Amino acid sequence: MIGVDTQLLALLTAGALIIIGLFAAILIDNLIKKIVGLSFIEEGVNLFIICLGYKEGGVVPIFLPGMDSNWFALNSAYPLPQALVLTSIVIGASTLAVMLALAMVLYKKYGSLSTSKILNHKTDMGDEE
Amino acid sequence: MNAMIPLIVIIPIIAALLLNLFGKNNKTIKVIAFIVGIILPILTLITGYGLHYFGGHQPLSLSNISGLPSYISSTGLYNLHPAITYNFTSLSKVFIFMMGIVVFLSIFAYLNSEKRASGPFLFLVFMGTASVSAMMMSDDLFNMYVFFEIAALIQTGIIIASKAEDNYETALKYMIIGSIGGPILLLGIAILLAIAGSVNITDIVNIVNTSLIRSPQTRPIVLFSFGLIFFGWLYASGFPPFHVIKSSIYSKAEPYAASVLQGMSLLTLVAFAVVMFRIFGKLNLFKGAVLLISIMAMVLGVSMAVMQTDFRRMIAYLSVGELGFVGLGFGLGTRFSITAGLFQGINELIVTALLFIGLGAVVYLTNTSNTRRLGGLISKNESMAIMVLLGGFAMAGVPPFNGFRSKFMIIEAALNSGFPEISVIAILVSIATFFVFVKAFYSIYLKPQPTDLEFVHETIPRSMVFAVAVLLIICIVLGLYPGLVTNPIAELIGGLL
Repeated sequence: MIGVDTQLLALLTAGALIIIGLFAAILIDNLIKKIVGLSFIEEGVNLFIICLGYKEGGVVPIFLPGMDSNWFALNSAYPLPQALVLTSIVIGASTLAVMLALAMVLYKKYGSLSTSKILNHKTDMGDEE
Repeated sequence: MNAMIPLIVIIPIIAALLLNLFGKNNKTIKVIAFIVGIILPILTLITGYGLHYFGGHQPLSLSNISGLPSYISSTGLYNLHPAITYNFTSLSKVFIFMMGIVVFLSIFAYLNSEKRASGPFLFLVFMGTASVSAMMMSDDLFNMYVFFEIAALIQTGIIIASKAEDNYETALKYMIIGSIGGPILLLGIAILLAIAGSVNITDIVNIVNTSLIRSPQTRPIVLFSFGLIFFGWLYASGFPPFHVIKSSIYSKAEPYAASVLQGMSLLTLVAFAVVMFRIFGKLNLFKGAVLLISIMAMVLGVSMAVMQTDFRRMIAYLSVGELGFVGLGFGLGTRFSITAGLFQGINELIVTALLFIGLGAVVYLTNTSNTRRLGGLISKNESMAIMVLLGGFAMAGVPPFNGFRSKFMIIEAALNSGFPEISVIAILVSIATFFVFVKAFYSIYLKPQPTDLEFVHETIPRSMVFAVAVLLIICIVLGLYPGLVTNPIAELIGGLL
């Protein structure tokens, strides 16, 4: 029962993180807060993936000497999501680093972290003339 | 097992690392980039079709292991792919080979035009090539996602490395959109993992098509997953509503980089389109959504190109419009239409690279891409001007070039599938493309030269002329002998259907 609740709670948290992140990324003007919001989306998805491998009362998916293979197969958590999330975290960190570096450069250029000020300073920014 | 297959990804990655390492030694990086640039297409050409299981972990059903527990041998686990698998098919070969040619010619033109080559820029080009090659071959959705994210970072890096005005702003905008698109794609993949238990595409296709898509409980989840992956695909390919930022990216990059960037977007589009078709192809929603978005891309691409006075942005919008033709092939969903769409993809890869490099020569001469400030450039290099004009004809679908063949096939496929309206739209878009291009050509090359036009260089580098000439020859050869590409692709698509 506790296990089911744990998984459900984690899934709800993942959903909340994604929604809060989307809200921040789309609606908040401050660049740093926007980047934090984007990070929330990434982490929400990571949490969702981690939840997939959860097994109530399960064991760490490492096969040790002396373990019965049938028992291990029935009781170990699913290791694939953990491996995937590890890679996903690395990708998220790289993306975050590049975005923060860009934020620093643009702050020096504009003296502001307002996204609307940075991205709309010229009418042709990404649009037709 | 084919050990040559992973080399197609490993060699450009090693080259990229070496280029970064020797970034300050101009001669060394020029030699490395040139040699690896030649090796890549050759390696792709000589590598045989087949599968590569990383770590040698093939499905248990192929391993002949005896004494397995019944929960493995008597269930679907027996056939699952336990490791990342690369599948090198005729489709991968054709696309990676053509990408290799475009990368080589772009690098060749770059190395000969610039006195001092940039190690980090070449690093980005080779990493990007490795990423899209991996996406084309990977039979693992998560592996594709990893390279998809690497490709997105590379594209941002290329924009940051360019000298264009507002490049940082464009890069930031692209990263913000990408940081939403990427995780949404990953969420779609995670949902497939949740319901299928694997990220291997062949496994997912088997499980989804045999049971999940038919069950009323799991069908909505499959549809939801499709929606998320479709969103990620739109972002990666530059389809609407992401066509503006994608065009912006192309126009901010250096001409050599823009030709590689459009190739990266195109290969990503094709790789994910094939995967989506395999997994979700039986959903009516798939065909409807792809058709709708493709028509939107065609119409928006060409109508926004009309308004541009910056020819780099004009080519960028035209290339987005051309992507719509590729999407049409998948949306119609027949063997003939998909073959036509993929053939159009190859043609677009070549033609857009030709135009970016060819018109890049104008930027090299004048340091401007504004058609209002240009004119009379045909006197600088007539042969280049004529080749660019012929490239524009190829894009618009004028016979006997390759674009004509593929567009004709797509129009025929639309008629055969009972969509004459789509054929009419396709013809109108082609005509509009022709007029947009001819208008730009007149402004750049034929109208009287403005008196205030200043030249930063007096002649076009021969390497640029050579690159454009080779690409034009490929356009003509594919126009005369389309079977070189369509026959192997049609065979593979027949197998998928």
